[in-house]
Amino acid sequence: MTAVLLSIHVLAAIVFIGPVTVATSMFPRSARAALAGDGPPGAVEVLHRISRVYAVLGVAVPVFGLATGAAMGVLGDAWLIASLVLTLLAAGILGLRVLPEQAVVIRALRGEAEVAPRTVRGLSMSSGLFALAWAVVVVLMIVRPGSTTGV
Amino acid sequence: MGLRIAAAAEAVSLVVLLVNLVTLHLRPVTQLAGPLHGCAYLAVIALTVASTRAGRGRLLALVPGVGGALVLRFLARTERASPTGGRGIASPPRSRHIR
Repeated sequence: MTAVLLSIHVLAAIVFIGPVTVATSMFPRSARAALAGDGPPGAVEVLHRISRVYAVLGVAVPVFGLATGAAMGVLGDAWLIASLVLTLLAAGILGLRVLPEQAVVIRALRGEAEVAPRTVRGLSMSSGLFALAWAVVVVLMIVRPGSTTGV
Repeated sequence: MGLRIAAAAEAVSLVVLLVNLVTLHLRPVTQLAGPLHGCAYLAVIALTVASTRAGRGRLLALVPGVGGALVLRFLARTERASPTGGRGIASPPRSRHIR
């Protein structure tokens, strides 16, 4: 059963978090082009939609990760706790910074709000931090410093 | 649409878990339906926060098992009361977003 849970966990990470990373990193460049008038606003909307929808589906990754950890009895391990803290950080960056600021850009493209160049620059930075945080989690999941279970 | 699916998954997975608990109590069922229920529960909360700013609606999402259904009913009611009411998308942009 552990193998099934672990498979779902890894598959969800690849299928759900991968697209969010790509879409959020592509968003600032497309947004800048569209705001300057030399890029399609539709592309920006699609990138925002991917970021939003897959972020919700990505909830499956930590949930199935916790289930796998519980089944393996490693929930108290330091590497796992560190990963959980970093996952929370990544989720916070995505949910509280990246997605709301993307929504501001979308509204600006529809002419409903103003957007400062600072917002788009901030988006580049927070998207990068999100990608970095979860890349570190992936490395922690593979290296598992201090772990004695060889799966 | 997403909220509808998440609400259904939240309720159905809880029923599966409880029926399993009082009948066969098979461990694989618990291990699979448990995380599924957890995902659906968190997805309902995330989707509710994204779709309404009303504190009451957001609190309803936290109710275990039927939170999703309660939020759907809440959203349908506020929609009927005022066409733009309760929906975050239609409300005016917050000042902190204009930088």
